[in-house]
Amino acid sequence: MRLHSLPDLTQKQLKPANGSNPRLARILVFAAGLTLMISGAVPLAKRILADTKPNVQLNVTNAAPREVEENTEQSVLRDYTAAWKGLSAALANNSLAPLNENFTGFALDKLTQRVKDQKQDGLTTRIIDHGHKVEAVFYSPDGSAIALKDTASLETQVLDGGSILHSDQAQVQYYAVLTGAEDRWKVRVLESSK
Amino acid sequence: MRRLVAIAITIAACWFAASRANGAEIRVPEKAVAGQDLSIATGGSGEGTLLLVGPGEVIKHKITLGQNAEIKGEELKHAGRWIAIVRGGSPQSQVFWVEPGKPANLSFLARPSRVPVNRPSVISGFVFTFDKFQNLVVDPTPITFTLSVGGTGASQNVTTKNGVAWVRSSSAKKAGSAQFVAKVGDVTVTRVVQQVASDPCNLRMHIASRNKDRVTVQTDPIRDCTGNPVPDGTIVTFIETDQTGRSVVDARIKKGIATAELPASSNAHITVASGVVLGNELNVGGGE
Repeated sequence: MRLHSLPDLTQKQLKPANGSNPRLARILVFAAGLTLMISGAVPLAKRILADTKPNVQLNVTNAAPREVEENTEQSVLRDYTAAWKGLSAALANNSLAPLNENFTGFALDKLTQRVKDQKQDGLTTRIIDHGHKVEAVFYSPDGSAIALKDTASLETQVLDGGSILHSDQAQVQYYAVLTGAEDRWKVRVLESSK
Repeated sequence: MRRLVAIAITIAACWFAASRANGAEIRVPEKAVAGQDLSIATGGSGEGTLLLVGPGEVIKHKITLGQNAEIKGEELKHAGRWIAIVRGGSPQSQVFWVEPGKPANLSFLARPSRVPVNRPSVISGFVFTFDKFQNLVVDPTPITFTLSVGGTGASQNVTTKNGVAWVRSSSAKKAGSAQFVAKVGDVTVTRVVQQVASDPCNLRMHIASRNKDRVTVQTDPIRDCTGNPVPDGTIVTFIETDQTGRSVVDARIKKGIATAELPASSNAHITVASGVVLGNELNVGGGE
């Protein structure tokens, strides 16, 4: 009796091993699909994060010695917002094009060097921007320069490939000086302060 | 016995994990200044890598964990928020701040470059203060602005706020090249503002000569209200009106006076003007 039942048991146990188990096949197909979905969704999510314009609130009531005109206020708001979007994209992708579009002078020199160094060391920086409260503190009498004081809520992640080396979330104070360029305001100075 | 072994293994694993986690401990100084040496203390043992991610650069050093990492001043150029990361086992990181150094550069803009004399609050100048690495110095800094022409002038002391200071100044009564100077400590930046004569004052003309075809009119030396000669090249307009119509001559000032030749007429009315300033009028005719 024992000898007779043993071959049956062995036959049952061998079934899953020869790959004909439909449940295992379903799991494999599902896992492959899930992997495909994730591999597509992660870069998409990154792009969405990078393309989102930060929320910037600009207050110009205390600007001196010249009052900021309504048109100027709108263009400064637009261009400072674009500069932060460009900065995030440049540091996330180690690309210089977004910097050249929005920065000039000292700020461009510094950020360009930062991107080059990041690229050389295989690092990227992801900035998750939770918004800026910006106050215009100076507007030059000839209308050529405007200085801003910005309280930014930022989440900063330094990455080496896919692994996060550093992550923090903080309110950071920035001083920015924008000057008029050919068709927009460009950030000439951008400096964080304690 | 098995339980004891399991407990021992768990304790050993925890101890190992804790030692690995502390292996790359990092301590940064509370205050760092751009251009000054910096010492960063690390914990643990073995080899590691120190990354300093700053506003305008990334510094990378191979270090021995448990020893201080020395960063030279010339590497630490940029003020602002830095992130120190030690890689050796599980990465550890810490945010620290670098302050700008002393003001060493001034970005000074003066407007306009050419201005009429004796006008109130017509000249403006503003200054941004930077250290030697072009970091904006946001701490209040006293700036001295001086505007002088020919050795006489006036000074104003202004303290920067948010890294910027500005002044408005009146132009002097005397024409000439004004030296507009901004000074902080030993750093001085000069801009030149050309102060030129204002509009003519008491514009007067007379008949210089006359014949049967032509009448020549000439102004007295043209000066502004503070006595500065109006620059050569300034346009003076003479208009002659008679029964046949109008004759208009735009003449440039040469050597301080303007001259025009107009057609002779038996009864003409001549006016003179420069910009918005009108001069005297002459009636020419008959035996005159």
